[in-house]
Amino acid sequence: MPGVLDYEDVTKDYGRPWSKRQVRALNGFTLSLERGEIFGFLGPNGAGKTTAIHLALGFMQASSGNGRLLGKPFGDAPTRARVGFLAENVALYHRPANKLLGFYGALNGMGPERLRLRTREVLRQVELEMEADRNISRFSRGMQQRIGLAQALMNNPELLILDEPTSALDPIARVGMRELLLEANRAGTTIFLSSHLLSEIEMVCHRVAILDKGRLVKVGNTDEMLVSRDRYEIVARGVPPASFESAQALNGRVEFNVAAASQRDALEKVWSLGGEVLSVNPVRRTLEEVFIELTSPGSDA
Amino acid sequence: MRPVVLIAANFLREHRWPVLILFGWIVFTALAAGDFGRGRPSVFDVIFYLEQQAIYISIFTAFLAATAIHNERKSRRILLVLSKAVSRAQYLLAVVAGSWATAVAYIVVFVLSANWLTAHAMLPNGGLWPFAILIMAGVMIATTVALFFSTFCNPYLATALTGLLFCLPGFWHRHLYASITYYPGFPVILQFFSFRFQADWAPRWAVVFAAMLESIVFWILGVAVFDRRDIAVPVE
Repeated sequence: MPGVLDYEDVTKDYGRPWSKRQVRALNGFTLSLERGEIFGFLGPNGAGKTTAIHLALGFMQASSGNGRLLGKPFGDAPTRARVGFLAENVALYHRPANKLLGFYGALNGMGPERLRLRTREVLRQVELEMEADRNISRFSRGMQQRIGLAQALMNNPELLILDEPTSALDPIARVGMRELLLEANRAGTTIFLSSHLLSEIEMVCHRVAILDKGRLVKVGNTDEMLVSRDRYEIVARGVPPASFESAQALNGRVEFNVAAASQRDALEKVWSLGGEVLSVNPVRRTLEEVFIELTSPGSDA
Repeated sequence: MRPVVLIAANFLREHRWPVLILFGWIVFTALAAGDFGRGRPSVFDVIFYLEQQAIYISIFTAFLAATAIHNERKSRRILLVLSKAVSRAQYLLAVVAGSWATAVAYIVVFVLSANWLTAHAMLPNGGLWPFAILIMAGVMIATTVALFFSTFCNPYLATALTGLLFCLPGFWHRHLYASITYYPGFPVILQFFSFRFQADWAPRWAVVFAAMLESIVFWILGVAVFDRRDIAVPVE
């Protein structure tokens, strides 16, 4: 069954084929989004994330390979009526917020009554209903970013594509944005979220893909990706903390990490010292640690 | 059609200030040619005014069309528009429609100003509306040719190439003129300079219709090129 968004061996080169300045932004990129998920799209600057998004929306054409958006080839205009998009560094026309949302909604074929209702609804969702009549040229960058998200939500999209949506937001607005995305996802919207804010991705995404130099280096379930198979955390009691390297004692419990290979030795040591093992779990890393491991120079990912 | 109307209306709104300034210029030059109502202008002054405004309107609207894609890409506002259910063909049609709507407004102001001037000069004004239709044909071909070039060129170069294409036959012998009715642009310019104050003056309608048809051809060519262009890459 086709996914909501499918890339099949997509390559994108910038520059003329005969030019020495030609750059390969995407290289044999294959990815499939499943309906109803929140998908995190990560990569360092210049990894090709925005290129991948722009290809999906038909802003550019792939040098080779192909892809499908909601089952139709990239670039199919009527299909985009079912998609919401927020660009990185959002650029909007300087008009009153409600008129601007009406304009973008109408471009997607929304009728006047639905436009009126949805404009009010999305302005409330992004907490700008009191600013409905104000020209957005007088908005702060964070407010413009929220209007950008509002226009993406106007058509109740099946797929929401967000390129760095929280880059201009303060921490409180970021929490609001996160709640909004979760709410949209609960209502059935699939979300494709490109961001540098790894903690955000870690909190909301079901699956994550990491892109580096145009190549997909890792894709998988967020929880599984964060679990290390190399190290385990052991919690015990009734043993002296000094018996284990970098162990921490808290309320009579001792916590320490060991490499997977020495897990058995550590457990036997606890028992030989007369202690009790309370838990043994794989160490959970942060997404930042995984990201750096996979994208740092010299990584064999 | 609705996206075309919306984007065209937005195009007009975005260009309202230069358009209003040119309206003022048309009225001001009419008043100046008429010596601000104090003296009676000569027939040569009135004809100069008509020819000058016809050329200005064509160049200005061609330049508006030529800069449209570039400006929208540079400001990145094109991304949100084309992320909606809007095809590239509809987008180009909207730019053309916006430019033509601007031209219609200009031409109305121009005809009103020219009417005042001809009345003041006690000249027959029967040829003004046919002349207005001729200007519209000039605007149509100028905007679509400029828009076509702007799909793959910098806007200044696109405007220059439009001018070059239109004026190229002028470098050849004058006797060639009669045989170039269907060449884009140049015959319309020649017709601008053929205006005379005669009650039955009319342009060569073959030239007018040819320009209108050619503008459709250039729009189709523009769509064919624009459809294959990457619009999200930096323009500079």
